[in-house]
Amino acid sequence: MAEFLNTTVNAILVAGLYATMSYGLALIWGVMKIINLSHAGVLMLGAYSTWWLSNTLGVDALVTLPITAIAFFLLGMVIERVLVRRLADAPPITTLLLLFGLWLVMQNFAYSVFTGDTRAVLTPYTQSNLRFGLLTIPVTWLVTFAIGLVILLLLQQFLTRTMAGNAIRALAQDRDACRLVGIDAECLNMVAFGLGTMLAAVAGGLLALLFSFSPEFGGPFQLKSFAIIVLGGLESLIGVAVASLIVALAEQWSVAVIPAALQNVVAFVILVVALVVLPNGIMAAVRQIEWRPFRSPR
Amino acid sequence: MRYSTIGQVVWLPLVLALTFSACRAPTAPGSAAPSGAAAPAEGAAPAAPAAQSAPEAIVIGAALPLTGQESRAGGYFKTAYEMAADEVNADGGILVAEYNKKIPVRLVIQDDQTDQNLSRNLYERLATVDKVNFFLGGYSTGLGVAHAPVADQYKIPYVTGGEAAVEIFNRGQKYIFGALSSVENLATSTMEWIKYWQDQGQLAKPAKIALLWENTSHGKDYQRGVQNFVKANPNAFSIVVDEAFQYPGATDHRPLLQKVKAANADLFLVDAHLEDYILMQRQYTELGLHHQVVTYGARGPEKAARDQLGNAADYVAAANWWSSELPYPASKSFVQRFEAKYQSTPEWYHALAYTAATTLFKAIEQAGSLDRDKVRDALAKTDISNALIPGGKVYFKPDGQIDNPFVITQNQPGGGAPIVWPLDAKTGDATLPMP
Repeated sequence: MAEFLNTTVNAILVAGLYATMSYGLALIWGVMKIINLSHAGVLMLGAYSTWWLSNTLGVDALVTLPITAIAFFLLGMVIERVLVRRLADAPPITTLLLLFGLWLVMQNFAYSVFTGDTRAVLTPYTQSNLRFGLLTIPVTWLVTFAIGLVILLLLQQFLTRTMAGNAIRALAQDRDACRLVGIDAECLNMVAFGLGTMLAAVAGGLLALLFSFSPEFGGPFQLKSFAIIVLGGLESLIGVAVASLIVALAEQWSVAVIPAALQNVVAFVILVVALVVLPNGIMAAVRQIEWRPFRSPR
Repeated sequence: MRYSTIGQVVWLPLVLALTFSACRAPTAPGSAAPSGAAAPAEGAAPAAPAAQSAPEAIVIGAALPLTGQESRAGGYFKTAYEMAADEVNADGGILVAEYNKKIPVRLVIQDDQTDQNLSRNLYERLATVDKVNFFLGGYSTGLGVAHAPVADQYKIPYVTGGEAAVEIFNRGQKYIFGALSSVENLATSTMEWIKYWQDQGQLAKPAKIALLWENTSHGKDYQRGVQNFVKANPNAFSIVVDEAFQYPGATDHRPLLQKVKAANADLFLVDAHLEDYILMQRQYTELGLHHQVVTYGARGPEKAARDQLGNAADYVAAANWWSSELPYPASKSFVQRFEAKYQSTPEWYHALAYTAATTLFKAIEQAGSLDRDKVRDALAKTDISNALIPGGKVYFKPDGQIDNPFVITQNQPGGGAPIVWPLDAKTGDATLPMP
């Protein structure tokens, strides 16, 4: 019972982290219809940024997250303006290759600057936990979950309550109609790519609180993000959150019945099942359910 | 959103990821080029010498992971190989009887970028293009499994101090020799240490073991070592958890640790690489687990782990191929010379790489020839006393691997990691059970 309870709570905390690292990928796809294969590189550089800033400034890693966020928002806009925009009309494979190449450049950059040594962020609360009866909750996981929740709420507010957010949503729905009403699509592309990069970097900073990392870091998390955004529906933030919970629960519970060495396979099984059974994502499937008890008689 | 679009979105990146998976260990800008860190001079030694004319140098080749995931260890090996070569060259070189003169050593070290395919290709290149006389080993089991067969393919003696998995030595190869004792031995040494303290009444008897291992040949050797010891001592031990975890790429060990917690074991025995040691021990502490003994195989005293785990690394025990605290005269002398030359304390990687290189040099001298078969035979008969590694001897079993014991260290609060086993080499007392 204690094992099941702890595993379930772990899954919920892991889901917060998964959602945070997937929002950026979903946002960039939603607006620009490109898959950001440099996502893993940004996760990795976000982790290094948090580690370097907290060591250099001598402050808690969480305090450095806003600096990382601003820096990577600007970096993302520069990448869009200088690289991605030039291939706006090229076939999708070209952009994929470009961003894959960018990932390799980021890895090489990290090797040359930070070397291949394994790093980790150590804080005063890194190894502490809270106990509630049978339940043991690591403080770092609780903190990263809370930050993930705040990011989801802020992002939802930005996209629904601000002019720029509404314009981004409109752009995701119909790019041509946006141009007809005078929305600057190119500028919004840049903002969306900046936001997506920022979200990935902040997620990387949170990952640094939980895991050790090296320039190879980020690959498995990127592949899990793919599974999550496909299951959640490629353009739905709520769907991403729900899918994160499903993937995390499946991963955590699966270890009771399959070898732990196969834990990472679970996300990819879900990806395949989602493609076959829910090709438009879980939120689209929910919207299609006919709620007969509330339908007015014809 | 239509299905076809989503399909494109998912499969294109996945296909790309798979296609380019071999590119996961890129070369850092400014690092050694694959063509060789130290190219041989013109007229480098031929494979077989002419009757009277001695070659200018004995050319010894190695491919090391100087960039990529294992770059730190690869760099250590390069440093130690160079130290061994510098020392022998300072004395004029290796005395080769058939030329009746000392011939200097020239190293050809190339960067395999921690890539299995490249590693094998580079050893082939060393044999066919650089035409080296002999090989020194690379580092890490995964790379060794890929490139070790090249030694027998070209009948070039190969001495390694960085590859220990039984899988490398049980393929019937005649030209490979390993100065690194097997991972199975590592597990046996750990269990002997635990059994000793169990018999002293310090640890639970019988003791329940939670055994976790990375799903590599390294991990399987460790598992086999523990299992065999438990089978031989059924009244002293039982295994209650025996499970593999993914390497590389494990992202969360907590579900597995919950299993360990539920099993209520007395001993927590793990075989892991550095990144998994750091991640798992961190999550172990966060979940509030406690056992009488905690060990991660050969991992434990590394500075990187101590820095990143803080006091969570205290009292972790590690079985290792060497420790700078080993009180043998040869070991102390090596530490002094290394510190004088590089202003840092050597780690076990340096000691084993140095041992591999000097063992090859000695075999060349014993053979009195650069003939590869004669040197291979000399290596097979190696019997070096007063060596700097635990046990003090270098010799090879018929399969080519050494069979030496390990030293066990235990991290102490404040940063030290004294040797606590074997008793005749101990430099500190074990703290058992763990507080």
